Amino acid sequence: MQPVPCSSLSEAPRTMKIGLFIPCFINELFPHVAMATLELLESLGCEVEFPLQQSCCGQPLANNGDSKGACDAARRFTGVFQQYDYVVAPSGSCVSHVTHHYDWYIAEDPAYQQLKPKVYEIIEFLQDVLKLEKLPKPVYFPHKVSIHQSCHGLRELHHASPSELMIPYQSRLENILKLVDGVDVLLPERRDECCGFGGTFCVDEPELSTAMGEDRIAQHEATGAEYIVGADPSCLMHMGGIIRHQGKQIRPLHIVEILTGRGAGA
Amino acid sequence: MSTRDSILARIRQNRPQATALPDIHAVPFIRYDNPFEAFATLIRNLGGDAVQLAAGQSVADIVASRWPDAGRTVDLTLPEHEEVSDPHAWHDVDVAIVPGQLAVAENATVWVSHPDNHFRSIYFLTQKLVLVVPRDAMVDTMRDAYARIDMAEHGFGAFISGSSRTADIEQSLVMGAHGAMAALVIFV
Amino acid sequence: MKDDSVKHPQAAAEFLKDRAQAKWHDSAIWWVRQKRDAQAKQLPEWEELRRLAREIKAHTLSQLDDYLAQFEANAQKNGVTVHWAADADEHNRIVHGILAARQVKKLVKSKSMLTEECGLNPYLEQRGIEVVDTDLGERIVQLRHEAPSHIVMPAIHLKKEQISELFHKELGTEAGNNDPTYLTHAARANLREHFLTADAGLTGVNFAIAETGGVVVCTNEGNADLGTSLPPIHIASMGLEKIIPKLEHLGVFTRLLARSAIGSPVTTYTSHFHQARPGGEMHIVIVDNGRSDILGNEDFYQSLRCIRCGACMNTCPVYRRSSGFSYSYIIPGPIGSTLGPSRDMKKHGSMAFACSTCGSCSNVCPVKINLHEQLVLHRKKAFDQNLLPTGKKMGLLAMRFLTQHPALFDLGGKVMRKVVPIIPESLTRHSAWSRAGRDLPPMPAQSFKEQYQQRSQNKKDKQDKKDKEEQQ
Repeated sequence: MQPVPCSSLSEAPRTMKIGLFIPCFINELFPHVAMATLELLESLGCEVEFPLQQSCCGQPLANNGDSKGACDAARRFTGVFQQYDYVVAPSGSCVSHVTHHYDWYIAEDPAYQQLKPKVYEIIEFLQDVLKLEKLPKPVYFPHKVSIHQSCHGLRELHHASPSELMIPYQSRLENILKLVDGVDVLLPERRDECCGFGGTFCVDEPELSTAMGEDRIAQHEATGAEYIVGADPSCLMHMGGIIRHQGKQIRPLHIVEILTGRGAGA
Repeated sequence: MSTRDSILARIRQNRPQATALPDIHAVPFIRYDNPFEAFATLIRNLGGDAVQLAAGQSVADIVASRWPDAGRTVDLTLPEHEEVSDPHAWHDVDVAIVPGQLAVAENATVWVSHPDNHFRSIYFLTQKLVLVVPRDAMVDTMRDAYARIDMAEHGFGAFISGSSRTADIEQSLVMGAHGAMAALVIFV
Repeated sequence: MKDDSVKHPQAAAEFLKDRAQAKWHDSAIWWVRQKRDAQAKQLPEWEELRRLAREIKAHTLSQLDDYLAQFEANAQKNGVTVHWAADADEHNRIVHGILAARQVKKLVKSKSMLTEECGLNPYLEQRGIEVVDTDLGERIVQLRHEAPSHIVMPAIHLKKEQISELFHKELGTEAGNNDPTYLTHAARANLREHFLTADAGLTGVNFAIAETGGVVVCTNEGNADLGTSLPPIHIASMGLEKIIPKLEHLGVFTRLLARSAIGSPVTTYTSHFHQARPGGEMHIVIVDNGRSDILGNEDFYQSLRCIRCGACMNTCPVYRRSSGFSYSYIIPGPIGSTLGPSRDMKKHGSMAFACSTCGSCSNVCPVKINLHEQLVLHRKKAFDQNLLPTGKKMGLLAMRFLTQHPALFDLGGKVMRKVVPIIPESLTRHSAWSRAGRDLPPMPAQSFKEQYQQRSQNKKDKQDKKDKEEQQ
């Protein structure tokens, strides 16, 4: 797809309209992440609309085998967002469900096939569509951060090279953090192991899910980082729950909050 | 219908969509600048060793200097080698010297399938295995190896790489699980 | 044999009670994943090799009947007797028939997950035949009357102290000597006696070559070779998916198998059996046992590409922290979690949910099976067959409804945000979220939607005010 720059970045007319997709749990529990996404896009000159009729993308239904529910949710999503030039969300997992798994349910729907290539996770959108080379306002974040590479962003959206594959290394999150001043980017041991959230897995197998989360947090802590930074609020929520329970110092932080320049305060 | 025919009929009925067989030779595989070096480095981690026969040296010299107190030694590389009438009769062999037909650099294996060997049990019963391989019989990868091998010995052949080993107890690598406790490859 | 009534969540929670042991299990198996990475990295063609392996297997499965017939004809030409078994019982009857006709008293076996699947050992033991598993790990679990907990490392769930105690009791080793070398060599001495006195040997099959009618068995210990070169009878049991078309294709699979399985460039022995040893006889038993049904299932037939390397287990964060015994099917981990439910959804359905869908398994798989996707597809079957716990199903149906009614969805969210902060911690402590040690996230006063609406309203008010001022 050809990059379509937002108006502030070029002389192109302001014709591109972005539909902001805020996954249901972010809407309820992490409104600050959603707001940071909205503000970041707007400060880059994008016209952003948050369609109020959106609800869940259907991933929890799909992952538990409810194909009818997943199918209905996919159709609803397509209906709500098809009018936009781009759809952008601050969650790799939900975007991956829309772009990689709706085909299991509504592959035959031409409206969905038209929509699919227009749906982007926020970091992808910044890098691939806006070709972002500098942040709208300079950000100084003099902290050590450990990158949390969430699984669906990693292995389905190719946010980074998965450690299993013998391909050249790249990482979207590391690349975009190069635009931030002062930040010290670290990688945990077992650089992309799952944190154990896994959607409803976290309540189907709470003991195992928590054990995975504890191990992951320990690996992030071992880097000496003050923040666990990722692009998926679900993983951050899960690790955050364990961190609060254990009274640990390290803090989970969505990458968009850093990019807007209010990371440490959030 | 026999079990055979009913299984095959069900498979035929359930055939997935046809796909083509790929050409495995179309893909470039790794090449080694110094295959002997690659082979020798690798086999040292696999409970073995590899040496090149020096001028004026014999296989027997190397074996004798390595294991001066060796017990029963059988040398299948000699035209008039010892023979037995039962595979169990090799049970007390200490050193077996056997011809290897081909060596593979990528994994330090030697192909063994010797037309004059009567009972293959000797490769596995012996305490120390010496594989004698012609210097020029070295290939880079298993793909090259499979292009050159045949099952010369009673329909049997094996790639052998180093010593018998196991890591079944707490992942600790131990040499000498059931087969040879030591392996030496001599390139001649 | 395995306890197939096990449910993964409960068994995993039980396993995790001993966190030190669970951590050890996790690290020991992760170490194998790291060794695999190191080996894979050394081959610039690694990803191409995986592609070739996938395509060879896919092609073979698409003409499996032809290749099996070709394999049979060529094996018979070599003087090998070929048998066909529709299911586990027929397999066991055939093997017992061969052994009984030749008055076999003792059978030495090398590792074969197929015979575990068929329950061969108890079948033969009940009929008076002594069965000795000879792979060290298999021998350990056999002496403990357990199933293997991993398909390549059968005893990975045990500590050396436990093995030392077992060998002291069973083989008379020194009490308290936990040295792996000492223990391994004690087993070596003991099993040599069995090899030398066995009447028959049974092996599994890693690859069966249609073009030549031979089978390939890969071991590090040499047990398959001793077990087939000494006794006069060699029986090779193989699942019908083990076929590859040509000898040259081993040039792909032998490069992938050990690197994926144990992070070693190759197994010590890669043995090609085309005939019995002189004076002996060789039999091959080709087993279906549900495989031809899986072949006909569009969603799951890819699982028949599996070469049983176990790499998916080693990378699986769930397997490493729950061990093989938390899975009801004889094959645990990701590949078991698709094969088990394919065989019996009622028994093994919980396995399809023992997965965070991280997808690491699909990436390590040398034949590129879409493992994590298959598990999700099995969940679909479980849902449709009404096998989900009632509470969970109700929750999903409620969610299905709310997803279509955003106003109610929002209301639900609002109620949650208002109510959670005021309910006492004693009530939430036992929830599935909290009981294992997670606090609930702080509940924001407003949802994003509320904030957005307010923001839009403010903007509009501001604009209106501005317009008004301009008008004035």
